Amino acid sequence: MGHLTIESLARLVSEAPTPEEERHLAECSACRIELNALQEQTEAIGSLPDLRPPPGDWEALEARLASEGLIRTSGLAVPARKWWSSGWMQAAAAVILFLGGTALGSGAFASTGEDGLAQDAQPPGLELIPVTAQAQPVSNLADATTAVNLAEQQYMLALLQYRQIMDAQGGPSQASDPTTRLAAIEAILAAGRAALRQAPTDPYVNGVLVSALAEKEAFLRKASLTSADVVF
Amino acid sequence: MTLEAPPGSRERPPEGWEMTESQLIRQACEGDGMAVRTLYERYAPRVYAVVRRIAGEDDLAQDYAQEAWIRAIRALPSFRGDARFSTWLHRIAVNSALQALRKADTRTKREAPLPEAIPVPASEGDVLLGDLLERAMDRLPVGMRQVLILHDVEGYTHEEIGEFLGVTSGTSKSQLFKARAKMRDLLCPSRESGDEGKNGVEAWGI
Repeated sequence: MGHLTIESLARLVSEAPTPEEERHLAECSACRIELNALQEQTEAIGSLPDLRPPPGDWEALEARLASEGLIRTSGLAVPARKWWSSGWMQAAAAVILFLGGTALGSGAFASTGEDGLAQDAQPPGLELIPVTAQAQPVSNLADATTAVNLAEQQYMLALLQYRQIMDAQGGPSQASDPTTRLAAIEAILAAGRAALRQAPTDPYVNGVLVSALAEKEAFLRKASLTSADVVF
Repeated sequence: MTLEAPPGSRERPPEGWEMTESQLIRQACEGDGMAVRTLYERYAPRVYAVVRRIAGEDDLAQDYAQEAWIRAIRALPSFRGDARFSTWLHRIAVNSALQALRKADTRTKREAPLPEAIPVPASEGDVLLGDLLERAMDRLPVGMRQVLILHDVEGYTHEEIGEFLGVTSGTSKSQLFKARAKMRDLLCPSRESGDEGKNGVEAWGI
């Protein structure tokens, strides 16, 4: 019997050999080596990683979804990545975050838990999902990318909860529980800060954090003007 | 047809995410852009990977992936939870890309040889090997590439591939074996497949 054809060997990667093929393989080291190479090749193909879409993919998709009426405009603007491309803006965001976190966040929320979520203020029937805001050390690009993705997803979850709270209370303009609203913003900030620690120069993370901080500042300013006995 | 996660599926949602999936889907059905964005962030790499590999080129991949997402969001109200959302979405992506590819005239430039002398240093072997494999798959004839991706990368069975492509499972198998052999040729061009006496002389070194 001559050597097994390459297609026969390719079949043997995932199927059992015939008795004749088995006998040949036992005797022919060249075919065994070739089969082994095909097995390694198939294993490597099966281990290929997922692929990140190109930059701007979501923005383009969002525009299409909106144009087809499949999504409605968000109540809280999420800044597009392209808005936030210069280095000094990112550095400014980091400073703002630091100042905002220490000056505005400390001791201001008597009814808010350490995790930034106000359990007491949770509307009945609404499931709040804890948003973790812990940054794990990373040592390579792949881990850092994963961490950034997870942090962004955590942010999106927090934002979704914010919207649900707003919806449960009749929308942002009718929000009757300032503690709940503030707690939701704090949850977003907590997730965002975790993202910033993982990716201090990521324009998207910086952008959403500054938006959330602006939201918080506006909220605090409004609260201080409309209430004489606010705690902050 | 039973809708199960393909055996080759490598997705591992972070702990606790399953709790929120139905909630996200419900919100997305109502047109909540944030919920759609969250689903996108979670599954975009998986969708883009399969669509990119089926398309065989970057220029088409983004359009195909976006079309897949449009279809999925449009069909979201029909998702009843019989299968995992990721499985449901993945099938939509595959069908969408295959359908788009049928419409496009992409039956050219498939047999161009790989660029020569692609270095594979051990320290960066995974990255470069992945790149090498992706580029070789891009150069497979369309039919072979589709079967190879759906079977060896995505883990679908020949019966499932037959349904996707409208061919018999036997045809799917035949195409798969040819695709593996062709990949071997593309990855190790100095050897001559099927030439007696040369098989195995130069094993693929990874």
